[in-house]
Amino acid sequence: MRTSTIHSYDVLIVGGGLTGLRAALRVSDAGLKGAVISKVHPLRSHSVAAQGGMNASLGNVLGEDGRHDSWESHAYDTVKGSDYLADQDAVARMCRQAPAAVIELEHMGMVWSRLEDGKIAQRPFGGAGFPRTCYAADRTGHNALHTLYQQVLDRKIPIYEEFFVLSLVNHDGRCGGCTALEIMTGEVHGFAAKAVLMATGGFGRIFSRSTNALINTGDGQALALRGGAPLKDMEFVQFHPTTLFGTNILITEGARGEGGILLNRKGERFMERYAPTSIDLAPRDVVARAIVQEFEEGRGFDGGYVHLDLHHLGEDRIRERLPGIRQIAIDFAGVDPVTDPIPVQPGQHYSMGGIDVDIDGATPVKGLYAAGECACISVHGANRLGGNSLLETVVFGRLVAGTIVKDMPSLPEPDIEPVQSAMEEADARIGQILEQEGGTPLITVMDALKETMFESFGIFRDVRSMQAGLAEIKKMQEKVSQISPGFKERAVNPALIRYLELEGMLLLAEVVARGALAREESRGSHTRTDHPDRDDSRFLKHTLASIREGMIEISYQPVRLGMFEPKERVY
Amino acid sequence: MNLIVYRYHEGMAEPRYDRFELDPRPGMTVLGALFEVQDRFDDSLAFRYSCRGAVCGSCAMLINKVPRLACRTQLSSLLAGKNQVSLSFYPAIEETISWNPEKEVLVEPLPHLPVIRDLIVDMQAFFQKYQFVEPVARPTGTPPEDERLMEPVAVRELEVYTNCVLCAACYGACPVDGKNQDYLGPAALATLYRFRIDPRDASGTVRLDRADTGNGWWACEFHGNCRTVCPKGVPPILAIGRARQELKSEKKRGERP
Ligand SMILES: Cc1cc2nc3c(=O)[nH]c(=O)nc-3n(C[C@H](O)[C@H](O)[C@H](O)COP(=O)(O)OP(=O)(O)OC[C@H]3O[C@@H](n4cnc5c(N)ncnc54)[C@H](O)[C@@H]3O)c2cc1C
Ligand code: SF4
Ligand code: FES
Repeated sequence: MRTSTIHSYDVLIVGGGLTGLRAALRVSDAGLKGAVISKVHPLRSHSVAAQGGMNASLGNVLGEDGRHDSWESHAYDTVKGSDYLADQDAVARMCRQAPAAVIELEHMGMVWSRLEDGKIAQRPFGGAGFPRTCYAADRTGHNALHTLYQQVLDRKIPIYEEFFVLSLVNHDGRCGGCTALEIMTGEVHGFAAKAVLMATGGFGRIFSRSTNALINTGDGQALALRGGAPLKDMEFVQFHPTTLFGTNILITEGARGEGGILLNRKGERFMERYAPTSIDLAPRDVVARAIVQEFEEGRGFDGGYVHLDLHHLGEDRIRERLPGIRQIAIDFAGVDPVTDPIPVQPGQHYSMGGIDVDIDGATPVKGLYAAGECACISVHGANRLGGNSLLETVVFGRLVAGTIVKDMPSLPEPDIEPVQSAMEEADARIGQILEQEGGTPLITVMDALKETMFESFGIFRDVRSMQAGLAEIKKMQEKVSQISPGFKERAVNPALIRYLELEGMLLLAEVVARGALAREESRGSHTRTDHPDRDDSRFLKHTLASIREGMIEISYQPVRLGMFEPKERVY
Repeated sequence: MNLIVYRYHEGMAEPRYDRFELDPRPGMTVLGALFEVQDRFDDSLAFRYSCRGAVCGSCAMLINKVPRLACRTQLSSLLAGKNQVSLSFYPAIEETISWNPEKEVLVEPLPHLPVIRDLIVDMQAFFQKYQFVEPVARPTGTPPEDERLMEPVAVRELEVYTNCVLCAACYGACPVDGKNQDYLGPAALATLYRFRIDPRDASGTVRLDRADTGNGWWACEFHGNCRTVCPKGVPPILAIGRARQELKSEKKRGERP
């Protein structure tokens, strides 16, 4: 067997994005022995790509009529944005902690954009009643991630980088570590730990047209599901209205926050018709649907895009506030927004659903926790507001690590034996994959999956196309055993890594599909043309998916309401 | 067109060059072409990637003898002879294989770092040097309750350096890194300078001491390749020049030994 040593820690953090690194600092501050495992170098995590900013009611910029922002108003916008599916206690917790989280990053050395008076700058974002989004030009994630990484290095926290987690060690109904493939050597490592925190990010890449990093394949959600933890609200997938036509690289909502406007083929500012009050800054689900409707009614450009016009902002403002966007438009579309409009279309952007956790970040499996985009603590409900997920990463990275610190005394020492057998199993599994015969190229299944997801589970959904989509997914799941990696070595085998990712993606696709089919209503990002209205009497509840006897089973969990009564959502 | 790709596997005495014939879609980048090869011809081809949007710093490699991000480099512009870059010459960009830049694109691993497999290099030395400069904020006094205030101008100056994505393109472009393995290199020095000029930092010019050595500030020969190849517009050469200036004038004033 090509397995290697077993490493022992108090806390293992899977994921080196903002969530994972913030959690690692908390664990280290508590004097516990922790380590971070990541399939890429932490700085290559998707968090680095976040552009527009992080919400917090600092009130550095006053709202209309000179009003001062408050956490309650942040909470209200978040809950309304969520189409009332968010758990309001979790939302309150996040919004209360937000100012401190932003300030803490500043104290750690992060460079934020500033107002003339020297305070952290804030800009308006979709669905928000105040200019609440703190930003670092359009590189907020980059600045934040580099800052946390510097803190992690300074504390000498061990990082296992380019280690691909293969399985969670599950025994006696609890999680006691994980196994991981060291990508560069092909060795299988075992990790024994009292607690495992999943911080593995989103699964956007199961869709074609995604703004996500190519590595966002949802491995963590699949690992957790197989490891006995349910997934929650997976049918809620956010489509961002403005992604660059062609590559689907994100064009931040900040571009509209700064005054950019959307125009159709006839040059009309069509959002005036769909959201008379907030116009271009209506929430993402509203704008994305409006653009698709423009396409369908023949007012889009050929190929399927509309224009995002920034030129009226002037070169200086574009250079100062949106330099990254300008560069992206030039590099990837050959368009300079100073003079020409940017061609944009909606694309998959964010995974609202994820690993089911309680308000403290614990999954139903003892010893297993989750935070950040891979988790569903439910602060975003059916639709996330821009700027809230960067906030979620740092707030819950810290808080959930805090839960682990608190739970530590009650968590038993991990057993080595189950780790050993999990390693043997993982190793055998890899051997089996490499020996598979059948000749189906991986890419045909991968591409078909992405297209199916975008077509059947995209911005508009209905029962017929979803049923057809699900049938396709089931067929693909069977086909996967006929994929035979051409390259048979274990060390540095990209074919093997992509195969492992694909297996998980197919599992998640089915979960999304089953959740979406069962939810016979429209809420937030989940828009069913056959059930156009929200139905609180039947569906004001969270979807849970778990595996029972090899089958995916759907059940439900109540939403925790509180300060805000569900109302119709108008913008 | 042809994509000519450097291939190396441990145990090989010499690297090999493979040629793949591609029919590029409009807008296809070098990274896209590498995936095309992996998907259609050879699934063993190894390269790093993540964001595909020139922000994560994973994919720096030598493309037509210039260190660039594969995801930001379009095949069509290379073939059309656009974005020509002229570098101060160094051994790693000597001709290895002849190729026709009108019809072919040559992709090789980033120089000055050991090759693990194909286009994947071992970044350890690069990150060790980054770590050596102690890149962490050391602010003055106890933190205030709110944010520390900062002038927007100061932020603009800092951003020039915080924009670095640690892709190591500059490291692979620097002639001095090529001949002196111990040279800290442009990115690490630019990072150190970023902390030096952070108005919130307490260390002042003491920060600069960390690289006040023959392998630090003083090793730079001002070839300027770092600034030329940087995909993020970071000018390490400027940071190095300014740091030297500061050190020199302090030494002259007798504030330093
Ligand atoms: C283009 C873009 C722009 C965005 N801009 C904003 C914004 O302006 N404001 C905002 O609030 N939100 C924004 N978001 C959303 C936000 O960036 C993400 O939700 C957030 O960064 C997720 O952070 P995370 O730490 O949870 O996960 P990630 O940063 O995705 O990190 C996941 C980590 O898990 C690791 N991992 C995954 N699978 C495995 C495995 N099998 N084995 C080992 N390690 C594994 C990865 O290596 C990585 O380190 C944006 C998203 C996109 C796509
Ligand atoms: S300075 Fe530029 S080239 Fe050098 S590592 Fe940073 S981003 Fe890359
Ligand atoms: S893939 Fe991220 S910089 Fe190229």
